[in-house]
Amino acid sequence: MNLKKYFVRALHRLQKGPGYTYKELLVWYCDNTNTHGPKRIIKEGPKKKFIWFFLTLLFASLVFWQWGILINTYLSYNVTSSLSIGFKTMKFPAVTVCNANPFKYSEVKHLLKELDRLIEAALERILQPSPGNSSENTSLPLDLELWHQIPLVLIDEHDKDNPIILDIFERNQTAKDNGTTAGNATTAGNEILCSHQGSDNCTYRNFTSAAQAVTEWYILQSTSILSKVPLQERIRMGYQAEDMILACLYGAEPCNYKNFTQIYHPDHGNCYIFNWGMDEEALNSSNPGAEFGLKLILDISQQDYIPYLSSAAGARLMLHQQKSFPFLKDQGIYAMAGTETSIGVLVDELERMGYPYSDCTMNGSDVPVKNLYSQYNTSYSIQACLRSCFQNHMVEICGCGHYMFPLPEGVNYCNNEDYPGWAYCYSSLRSSIRHRQICIDSCKETCNDTQYKMTISMADWPSEASEDWIFHILSYERDMSTNVTLDRNGIIKLNIYFQEYNYRTISESAATTIVWLLSSLGGQFGFWMGGSVLCLIEFGEIIIDSLWITIINVISWCKGLKQKRAQARYPDAPPTVSELVEAHTNLGFQHEDAGALPRDEALPPEPGTPPPNYDSLRVQPLDILSPDSDAD
Amino acid sequence: RYSSMKDYLSELDKETKKALETFYGFSEGKSKVRRSADEWNSTESDFFKQIPLLKFEDFSRTATDLRSGQKRKIEGSVFHKDSSIVNSGDSNDIIGFQLCDANNSSECALYTFSSGVNAIQEWYKLHYMNIMAQIPLETKERLSYSADDLLLTCFFDGLSCDKRHFTRFHHPLHGNCYTFNSGANGTILSTSTGGSEYGLQVVLYIDEADYNPFLVTSTGAKIMVHDQDEYPFIEDIGTEIETAAATSIGMHFTRSRKLSKPYSDCTETGADIPVENLYNKSYSLQICLHSCFQKAMVDSCGCAQYAQPLPAGAEYCNYKKNPNWMYCYYRLHEKFVKEQLGCQQICKDACSFKEWALTTSIAQWPSTVSEDWMLRVLSWDKGQKINKKLNKTDLANLMVFYKDLNERFISENPANTLVILLSNFGGQLGLWMSCSVVCVIEIVEVFFIDSLSIVMRRQWQKAKKWWNDRKRDQSGKPPQAGDPERQGHNNPMCVDEDLPTFNTALRLPLPQDNPLPRTPPPNYSTLRLETAFTEQLPDTLEVGQH
Repeated sequence: MNLKKYFVRALHRLQKGPGYTYKELLVWYCDNTNTHGPKRIIKEGPKKKFIWFFLTLLFASLVFWQWGILINTYLSYNVTSSLSIGFKTMKFPAVTVCNANPFKYSEVKHLLKELDRLIEAALERILQPSPGNSSENTSLPLDLELWHQIPLVLIDEHDKDNPIILDIFERNQTAKDNGTTAGNATTAGNEILCSHQGSDNCTYRNFTSAAQAVTEWYILQSTSILSKVPLQERIRMGYQAEDMILACLYGAEPCNYKNFTQIYHPDHGNCYIFNWGMDEEALNSSNPGAEFGLKLILDISQQDYIPYLSSAAGARLMLHQQKSFPFLKDQGIYAMAGTETSIGVLVDELERMGYPYSDCTMNGSDVPVKNLYSQYNTSYSIQACLRSCFQNHMVEICGCGHYMFPLPEGVNYCNNEDYPGWAYCYSSLRSSIRHRQICIDSCKETCNDTQYKMTISMADWPSEASEDWIFHILSYERDMSTNVTLDRNGIIKLNIYFQEYNYRTISESAATTIVWLLSSLGGQFGFWMGGSVLCLIEFGEIIIDSLWITIINVISWCKGLKQKRAQARYPDAPPTVSELVEAHTNLGFQHEDAGALPRDEALPPEPGTPPPNYDSLRVQPLDILSPDSDAD
Repeated sequence: RYSSMKDYLSELDKETKKALETFYGFSEGKSKVRRSADEWNSTESDFFKQIPLLKFEDFSRTATDLRSGQKRKIEGSVFHKDSSIVNSGDSNDIIGFQLCDANNSSECALYTFSSGVNAIQEWYKLHYMNIMAQIPLETKERLSYSADDLLLTCFFDGLSCDKRHFTRFHHPLHGNCYTFNSGANGTILSTSTGGSEYGLQVVLYIDEADYNPFLVTSTGAKIMVHDQDEYPFIEDIGTEIETAAATSIGMHFTRSRKLSKPYSDCTETGADIPVENLYNKSYSLQICLHSCFQKAMVDSCGCAQYAQPLPAGAEYCNYKKNPNWMYCYYRLHEKFVKEQLGCQQICKDACSFKEWALTTSIAQWPSTVSEDWMLRVLSWDKGQKINKKLNKTDLANLMVFYKDLNERFISENPANTLVILLSNFGGQLGLWMSCSVVCVIEIVEVFFIDSLSIVMRRQWQKAKKWWNDRKRDQSGKPPQAGDPERQGHNNPMCVDEDLPTFNTALRLPLPQDNPLPRTPPPNYSTLRLETAFTEQLPDTLEVGQH
């Protein structure tokens, strides 16, 4: 009953307002709304009514269509980039210089002795493939232990179906290849990798060129050997700063090897970083031109290269941001011996907006990969992430870490003795596309990125005329000897300087903001229909009202049904008082019948009173009538 | 290009070249004064010597010394002097060649160069194109380097690769070029990591001894990084790499996209450019310019230039068929350079393009200590084909890799779209006038349609009145008096047609229509709100009646 009372009250409320049928409601709405258009639908004659109805509908759909476009634009989170170019005082980039060769051959010779003898012998076998020619230089027995772990084989595929695999140090053995070889019709140098000695789980890594195969094989073997050497020892075996950096000049200030930070890089041994900004403030450069840049003279002592490990000779250098790890294999450039290399630098700064505008990370903390390079105290970069991800996989699958990447805690580097199958594991992991994809998907780019664009030019240095004295002075400074200990093949001059326009900043800003969205939405709504948020609220109100009407109708319909049923049971049961009252209050019954003449119901309902004579005095019906007759 | 293999075809050409070389070669150790004298002497002897070789060669290869007037006279007896001089140098020894129209020998063009080197190269190139134009493509491909010759080792993304990963295409001037990962066999290799060990590493065998001494004077290879469906204009934008060195090329990829039509004048596919794309590749400005030139060449000279692909139904120029093509070509080329052919106006930029920014650096390779075994093994790799030991100046090591996998994408977005224009418009209208399109339509409605219809009605009424008056005048006494009196509420015509039915009349208190005719008309009229309509009412009623 309480509910009913509430409904009745709601009904009364409705009566005061728009009315109690849908049509009334609509008319009321059209008459009272602030949206342009609906008002005209009810005010005019049938033709205009139709036109206005059509127009209103058209504009409403236009508004919704345009809103769709606008919201879509907003949700795509576009950015606008602005570019600025100029010269300003900037931090001089960190400069990493390394020798292309990681260790002095004279220092590591004792470690690699066996391997070198082995490879020499192997090369001899390869180059003179006649099997009868057993002119073994049997001076020393070869350490075949190393060999058996990863043998080099020749695969003769003249006969496609039955390739002949020839282990270089074994008797000729014919075996079915396990189908991984490429169908090359010529003899090719190959490596064979087995997961375990004597196990069947083997793959052949094919190379079409023996040079490539030998290099890769040597790298694998030497990696295994060197990974057992402790880090201190490895640093000692590499090039020392005082040997490598002969002269240094930054702007007008002299500098020397002590201004460089030493870092051990697995690929290139000892690397030296100028202006890394780890301990002291980064240097600024406020002048363009070679005069104000960094000038270095390096000695790479090419005679001391490990012959099989790195075939290219030169210095590897890289410009990078302060406090970032130099990934020389990715971004490094070579400087050739016997030349002066000038590098003009242009700094490209990228400032990206983070989520949701682009998928980037500010400091790498939200990347699900443990950054192994953080042990160097360096900032996050996508290269670091990819490498850490690989190393993590390697540790997970092979049980040991690869020598080229930093170690997670409590894990050792792989070597042939402790982890005999690591090479197989590594090579299968490396060629696994799935693992790579996982890493690529989980690593994100950094939002703020600095790239150094280099303009590289070279000239011969020292010139023939100056060669003599330059070598003399440099040799004297390094060794205090009067002999020339340097030569053209080992000496490199580097000039690194800012170009005239040294920076280019590309920064992003949101193309569409919420303010933009709102003003555009409002503009559209206002443009087509003159509406505002209040109009939307009005519309919402109407919907609520119509819901009320529906509820009331449903209730009354139910009641009517009940009544009918009751009447059917007791044909002439007298109506109860409450029912009678309701019949007067709830005009829903009458309205449905009287739908044909809706305007009459707009009158304040006085159900009991007789039809008044004063009706003719009323203003309103005339009001409505006159346009009606007008249209006629 | 194997000049040695090609020799059997270009033997004549080479022979003449040798002869020419001798007459320029005199200058080497001698003074410049001597040189010019020598030049002439030898020219004359050469001159006659050349005639039997190629008929046209003597015309074109006249080395003229501008200084000596009397020599000119001798020459002038053969061809006329009124050459259109391209370059009147002030230097004493200017070397050049003269091109004449074969049909009309009085029209000659003299091309001079300040250096004999340029002159000879240019001259040689012309003859070379002549000869090559006559050789069918298959022969040329056979004569040029094969992939086996060129590639010693190949390594991509940690895996070995070989010549099957390379697609050959024949370049008119560079001979056979090989494209790695051209996508010709349907698959496009992709690299997943940046860094030099994951890129392409090749060792190229460049047989320096086998170079054509006049056509190409530099040793090395030319490479170009381009998209799969882009034509490599290797002579225009190739990067040269050095022998006996490891060239490491780090790439950074940039993709750009411009907005087409109303925003900028670029073309999406090139379909809207009236120049036929002769290259079987996607559109680029370069392709358009070349195609445009080739078309002009075919139109005006009747044959196609050798360095560009053939349009349908045309053939390459050569002496035998088109004796004066060179003159024509040079004329046309000059026009082209001066933008008189209109190609530069017709051709538009492509809207989207890809660009690889290359960072090239060079290291010595092989290093002194590894040189020995490296060369030995590479020679073995080369294997049976060549028995000689390789020299390090015959080799070039090339590494091409992505520096990082970041891609830079530069795209244009329209600053103002129609949607934004409309919403700004609406915003302004709403802000200042609280008005909308509906409002505008209303204004139009009221001030144009409604007012027009009112005016029309008035006119109609007037006309009718006038007509009635005239009628009345004519026909004495028509029922004219009734009309004005009948207006208003008494007018029986105004009564609603659908009279209330019995039912409605019974049930509803009083239909408002009913009392109206019954009420006494005039007194309550004053109560009515819309006084504006009272004036109008007669009109509407009048119209309603008819």
